Amino acid sequence: MDQIVRYFFDFSLMSAYWPDILRGFLITIEMSILTVLIGVPLGLAIAILRLYGFKPLNALIILYIDFFRSIPQLVLIMLAYFALPSFGLMLGPFTATVLALAIVLSAFSEEIFWAGINAVAKGQWEAGRSTGLGFNQTLVHIILPQVVRISIPPLTNRAIGISKGTTLGSVVAVPELLNVTSSIQSNVANPTALTVGALLFLALFLPFVRFTRWLERAYAHPRS
Amino acid sequence: MRSATAITPASADPIVAIDGLRKSFGNVEVLRGVDLRVAKGEAVVIVGSSGSGKSTCLRCINRLEEPTAGTIRVGGEEVTGAKVDLNLLRRRIGMVFQGINLYPHKTALGNVTLALRKVAGLGKAESEQKARQHLELVGLAHKADSYPAQLSGGQQQRVGIARAMALEPQVMLFDEPTSALDPELVGEVLNVMVRTKEMGMTMIVVTHEMHFARDVADRVVFMDHGAVLAEGTPEDILVSPQHQRIRDFVTRSRA
Repeated sequence: MDQIVRYFFDFSLMSAYWPDILRGFLITIEMSILTVLIGVPLGLAIAILRLYGFKPLNALIILYIDFFRSIPQLVLIMLAYFALPSFGLMLGPFTATVLALAIVLSAFSEEIFWAGINAVAKGQWEAGRSTGLGFNQTLVHIILPQVVRISIPPLTNRAIGISKGTTLGSVVAVPELLNVTSSIQSNVANPTALTVGALLFLALFLPFVRFTRWLERAYAHPRS
Repeated sequence: MRSATAITPASADPIVAIDGLRKSFGNVEVLRGVDLRVAKGEAVVIVGSSGSGKSTCLRCINRLEEPTAGTIRVGGEEVTGAKVDLNLLRRRIGMVFQGINLYPHKTALGNVTLALRKVAGLGKAESEQKARQHLELVGLAHKADSYPAQLSGGQQQRVGIARAMALEPQVMLFDEPTSALDPELVGEVLNVMVRTKEMGMTMIVVTHEMHFARDVADRVVFMDHGAVLAEGTPEDILVSPQHQRIRDFVTRSRA
């Protein structure tokens, strides 16, 4: 037991490193939020685009989502950072990581929204259209509110899973939380740094999970 | 309850005029040339066995189904044709569905006001006032703030009727409005439909409720295999039918 405390909970060793840890933490928060803020709306936009049913465009969309759902995020981050410059697009490590993760999240959330759109009964479209609402009006006022509601739980899972991929940014030297804490671990030869990292990840994602539970309730409509 | 004047299909200025309506789903021809006239204020009930094309015929009138051939005119205007403004057309045609299809995320009031605001362009106060009037007409003013899941099936369908009626359409289409309801809830919906007719609304009703057809319809249309087999007064069609096909149907419906 003593050993465990000495190896994992010796916070005195951290005293010199708190500013670094805090900076790493902020970077992780920033990357996570940006990934979700770009990835989820992009996924919704693609799902809506797919709904209009232009055949060639839909083929492209399906290619996009299948490709980005299949490729490992790590590879994608490496490609964004090391390969894009050859095409004249120079991205910083931070931007490359966020871009890669946001694209992956957009592909997954497109599929979730698409499934949600298909889960709304056809009669809802018919009811809206029969009163003279146009396609877009029916989509916005009748279909999407129901889609968002059924999509929140799976979307939350995905968003959290992929946001945790921000740790992969360490491969292109983003000074995010896990990168910082594992360096400290090497410096002080004690894994307490990782404990701190883990606690901070909890501090970041637990409120996020709670927030999405609240969202679920806010979007729920009373069932009898 | 039946008005004495509605004896034959009105020929002058029908609200709905269907000529040679055909509809195929792939290789299956569901409608094989339907002709139908509905006069202003008339309640026409379409009966027939399932698969006879009743619902498809109804759904062609507001083009939820795209007719394969033939013409449909509503209020003198052609419904069929590429240039028709569907949204404008549908505003004039109310529809009530077998599946009810209330918007689950909106209250009864919200269900009725949506099209009043977005289609009719009324303001918030005006649309709510109008929606409450129509909920009152179906006896549900006190349920204005309830969500569909908090209402019984019969109440839901009455909201469905209010939603369609609030736009003050020229004709109301009822597509088996009571088929999805528990038997004890059917009556309240039929009562609302009777009141709708008494208000002078033109109605085309697809139903299996033979009592309703007998007591309320000005005219009964019997459809069989995608065409109108016979039409006439409820007595002619349902009480003393000429066709063996209809006699069989009536006998089975009674059982």
